[in-house]
Formats: sequence, C-alpha cells, structure tokens
Amino acid sequence: MDATSPLGIQTSNPAESVPVASVLSIFDPVFLGIDEFGQAVYLPMIYRNILIGGEPGAGKSSLLNTIVGHAALCPDVRLCLLDGKQVELGLWEDACDVFVGPDIDHAIRTLRRVQIVMDNRYSFLKARRRRKIGPNDLFGQILVACDEIAYFSATAGDEKTQKLFAALLRDIVARGRAVGIIVAAATQRPSSDIIPTSLRDIFAWRFAGRCTTDVSSDIVLGHGWAARGFSSNTIDPNNQGAGLLIAEGGIPALVKAAYMTDDDIIRVADYAAWTRRRTAGLGTSTERPAAKVAA
Amino acid sequence: MSKSSQRSPFGWSNRGGNTVTVIEAPIARSYRRRATIAFWVTLGVVGLLAGTVASHYLHPIVGALLGVVLGALLGAVVFALIVAWPVLRVFWHWLPEIVLGLVAVYGWNMVMQSTPLWGSLLVVALVVGLPAAIGPVRRRVMAWAWCLVVRHRLRLCFAAFIATNRHGSLPLILPAKPTPAGERVWVWLRPGLSLRDLEQDGQVQKLAVACWANEVRVMRASRKYAALIRIDITRREPLAHKVVSPLPDYVPTDIPANAPTSPGMPSVGLDLPDVPDESVTTTADTPRPRKPRNTHTTTESPNGFDPSDYA
Repeated sequence: MDATSPLGIQTSNPAESVPVASVLSIFDPVFLGIDEFGQAVYLPMIYRNILIGGEPGAGKSSLLNTIVGHAALCPDVRLCLLDGKQVELGLWEDACDVFVGPDIDHAIRTLRRVQIVMDNRYSFLKARRRRKIGPNDLFGQILVACDEIAYFSATAGDEKTQKLFAALLRDIVARGRAVGIIVAAATQRPSSDIIPTSLRDIFAWRFAGRCTTDVSSDIVLGHGWAARGFSSNTIDPNNQGAGLLIAEGGIPALVKAAYMTDDDIIRVADYAAWTRRRTAGLGTSTERPAAKVAA
Repeated sequence: MSKSSQRSPFGWSNRGGNTVTVIEAPIARSYRRRATIAFWVTLGVVGLLAGTVASHYLHPIVGALLGVVLGALLGAVVFALIVAWPVLRVFWHWLPEIVLGLVAVYGWNMVMQSTPLWGSLLVVALVVGLPAAIGPVRRRVMAWAWCLVVRHRLRLCFAAFIATNRHGSLPLILPAKPTPAGERVWVWLRPGLSLRDLEQDGQVQKLAVACWANEVRVMRASRKYAALIRIDITRREPLAHKVVSPLPDYVPTDIPANAPTSPGMPSVGLDLPDVPDESVTTTADTPRPRKPRNTHTTTESPNGFDPSDYA
C-alpha cells in the first residue's frame, strides 16, 4: 500500500516508514495566541519558566496544553508532566517521558530525578568550561509541566512531603534554566498558603487568566499591577483563554491563548508518541520504556 | 522690526478689526519672535560665510556687501518660512486629504474630458462601488480612513487637554497603521511631556472619547527613546473569537492509526455507591486540611486584601 507523503516522496506503508519528526524546536518561540490588537503572540520558553494562574475555567490548562503540545513536537525535548487532575495533561501520557498522576511520592521521585539530571548537566558544562546549553547540544531540553501545583504543594501527602515537593520544584525553577530545564506550572491562586512565595516569585513569565479579585490577579502577576490598571478581574468570565501575560517587555499584555480541541490534542499527541518512539534522536527506544517503567 | 499689532498676510491682529484670526495672537507673536531671531542668525552666519568666500574672488568690500545681501535674502526666506509655519503646518497635517481631494477633482475632470457623462459616471461607480461591494477591500479602506481620522483626533487631544510645554509645541504624530482591533499610532513626544502625563488618571479615557474608540492604551514603543510612544486605539474586540492553535498543522496526514494507547481501565468505582465508606486514617495520602484562607482574608480586611500573600 503505497502512499505519498505531503512532500511528494513515495513511501511504503506509513506505519513501516521512519517518521519524520516535526521541525519545531523549543528554541523557537511558542505560539501562544493573539493579543488584544490581533497580533500573534509568541512566547520564548527556552531559558524561561512560566506561572499560570486564574480561576477554574479561566483557560489555564488550555494554555498549558499549548506549551506542552509545542514541546511534544520538538524532537529534542523530554516531557515530565505532573497533573493531579490527570485529564488535563493526561492526553499526552503516551508522548511524554514521565506522567505523574495524583501521587505525590511519584512527583517527588520525578523531581528528584530531574534535579540529579540538572546537577549532572552543570558538572558537565563546568568540565567543558561552558555556562549554558545551546541549540543542537549534546543533550536535549526537559519540560516540567505541572498542572494544579496546589494539589502537590498543599493538598496531597503530609506537610513534610509538600515542603519537599515545593523545595525541589523551586530548585528546578531556580537553577534549571541554563541547562534547558523549563518549568510551566499552573495553579488557581498561587497565594502564600498554596505555594511558597520564594517559589512563586522566581517564575519569569506570568499569565493571569480571569481572577475573581484584583488581589488574586496581583498575586499571579506581581504586586502593584492592579493599581496600574492591569487586573485580570476585568476579563469577561465567558472569554476563556483571555488573560494578562507578562513576558518580554515586562508589561502585562491582554492575550487570548490558542485553543486545541481534544481531537487536536490526541492527534498531535499520537504523532508525537509515534515520532518519539521511532526516532533515535533523543534516547533509544530501549531507554524510553525503561524510563516509563521506572516512573 | 515690525510690531505684533501690525497686519500681516496671515491675518494675525491684536485689534480684532476686519481680519480673520487664523492663528491666535500669542502663538503668532511667539513665531514672529522666533522668525526674527532666525533672520538675524541666518543673516550673520550666511553673511559671514558668503562674505568670506566672495572676498576671495572679489574686492573685500564688494565681497562683504555681497555676503550681507545674500545673508539678508536667505534670512528673509527663513523668516517667511517660520512666520508662515503655523499655516504651512496645517497644510502638512491635511496633506493626505488635500491630495485625495485634488485627485478626485482632477480625476473627474480628466475622465469627463475623455469620456461622455455616462462613461464618467460608470468609471466613478466602478472605482467607488467595487471596493465598497467587496467586504475585505472595504474594511481595509475604512481601516486606513480611520488612521487618517485618528491622527487628527489625537492632534486635537494634545492641543486641547494634554499638558505641554510653554512653546505649545505639540508631539509629533508619526504614522498610524490599522490593527485588527483598531489603530496603532506612533508619537514622538516633545520636551515637556512624558508617558507618565498620558498615563495620568483619566487621560487615556479622554483620549478614547476623543478618538470615538472603546479603549486607548499608551505604552513605550522603543527601549532606546523614552520620547517614542505607541498609542493603541481599540474599537473592536478581537479576543472574542476562539484562537485555533496551529500545532495540529505540523502533524502529517499519513500517520498510522495504530497509535499507542495506555491499558484500559475497568469502569469500577466511578460512582459514589461503588466506594466503601471507610474510616479515614491519618496516612500520608490523607488530604491535609488547608488553612482557612478565605475566612482569614474576610476577617482581616473587608476588601479581600491579604498582606500575607505578599509576605
């Protein structure tokens, strides 16, 4: 059964062919959506971390899915997905390297692994007299996406494990950027009783979906923005995905995050899983199931 | 030198009289003062330079006289330009409209001379009607028309209620371009005005009213120059519609259907009766009771401000 690929190359059974991974790279800015003036918004995620806040149904998970989707199509990015709610990032389970459900011990083990990788990478860079990684480096990047941090940092487990989780995540956010470890975290209201302020304040990029009060908006964006007229409280509750984004420029911009339907996510996730398992570019096929089993 | 109360071709007058006041008296006086200074400076500089050069070829006295004459001539030109500048500026501001008007008048004339009346009317109907009938073209033309309107409205705002310097020099309104939400105008602020003045309470709302818009946002347009600012005028709500992610476009159409799936899960425990009512032990998996943050905030302060959030 011969088929013609979009490029016009004759291939045999597509299932038998070597899949060509997409040409995306995490060094490319992620398409996030459009701003209030209708211009496309691209968010550079490499060497950055993002904190996403907003009330339930504000479009946090949609934005997180966009970021994870971009990373999933980057052949050199490993995915560690932590989702206490399971279904928000669960569609990517087969495409990711580690998927953590509502299991704080697993979450801590995963973050510990990422931390060890980070330390090893820094030792490696030091030995090579370098300060940070670049594109097409010896090793790829790692995206740690965490939906609903509050579950791990304030709900599940006991206080000790919650603190350990927050400490590990803070360390990864604080030190991970130069070795290509990117953290994208979402929570409804990142106040000090949910996640430590020392963790909250080190996220470079912020996205505040609709919040119920000006104070909640300020907690996500940083103190004082509501007073300057940037409060996500003013966003229409029906306009899901709209929110204030602090990225390059440092001033909040009203953006609307792009939306992927479940079918779209499944399609992209299946393709990502297929290319990731077949390509030996990043880790061999023997490594990947092993990683999953260990997880 | 002439006094400010004298009549002039541009109609400034302190006496009222029969003249029409095109430019207000204080502004006219200020321009006349500037023009006088410019005249003398030009006379001095050009006279000296021209005199020096001319003396090289002519008798020194003749050369010096020639220099003075040249300087006076050039000075007069500069004087006239500066005195007339307030009027010239109005022409400059309305240049697109003037050009469009001229094109319309001369175009109609030319068409009338080359074709009979019905032909001319047909041409006009085509030129006007076709863009008006085709939606995207009409919207584009209207967007550009709004850009012209907005620049005039902003100029009016700057002149009318935004504090500026003693000379009354207005910010330079640079090009405008249409955006899906409205228009975006770049402005170069003159000394005496800063972005903070525009951000003051109520200023952008006044701008929005003056521009017949929904909302106006003002922000810096350059990291290098504080004077270069960007004014975004919002008329429409482009965020109302769903933004579709382009990521699925990266997926080729011929991927195999045998996508890996995780092992299925039996449909057990999906409803309340399926889950036994057991006593909760204080194991590690027990959800820890959260701090009563809501009650805390409400008792601390009625407006929902909780200082501990910023701690």
